[in-house]
Amino acid sequence: MRRYETICILRPNLTEEQISTLIDNTTNIIQSDNGQVIELDKWGMKKLSYPIKKESLGYYLYCDYAGSPEAVAEMERKFRIDDSVLRYLTVKTSEAITAEEVEKATEELADRKAAEAQSNEEEEEQEKDVSEDTDDDSNNNED
Amino acid sequence: MTQRPQKIFSRKKVCRFCADKELTINYKDVKTLRNFVSERGKIIPRRIVGTCATHQRQLCEAIKRARHIALLPYSGSVQG
Repeated sequence: MRRYETICILRPNLTEEQISTLIDNTTNIIQSDNGQVIELDKWGMKKLSYPIKKESLGYYLYCDYAGSPEAVAEMERKFRIDDSVLRYLTVKTSEAITAEEVEKATEELADRKAAEAQSNEEEEEQEKDVSEDTDDDSNNNED
Repeated sequence: MTQRPQKIFSRKKVCRFCADKELTINYKDVKTLRNFVSERGKIIPRRIVGTCATHQRQLCEAIKRARHIALLPYSGSVQG
């Protein structure tokens, strides 16, 4: 097993259903070869830095997984055929990964998510307090 | 014997990634990568930004990946 991460950009006019079927198909490909999905993240709609296939917006999908090279080849072949996928990029992040390491990674991810959620809450509270101070700072920068 | 004029603009440049170990190069992290491309979207050479060879190589790769998935522009102004 190797660890990969894939980012793909989908057309902006897809429905939620079409996106979820595409996700199901790709996860099936990964799992059919004894792979495991570690993280699947929808980054959502983003503005592209340059138009791709006449689209200036794109729906970003991020997937971190452990899988075999064959699964990646199959997945990319599907992406190339599928008209709704504008771009994809697969990067190998680790040469070898065991099942234990996969579990560890998923645990770490859960911890990180929990920590992030907490820090976001704290930041929001702080922002309320500091909102007056930030106004002063911005004035200084202009000078 | 004429003395050579001493360099006026000699400030030692330090590689930002060597100085700050927590700063990592990642192609998904557009915010840091933005610091290393010009307004036109070109990669700024090492002699100007002062990164070391190892990190410049990694940076170069990261910027090219970011360009491929349209996080950074190949050319033209940023968000143009």
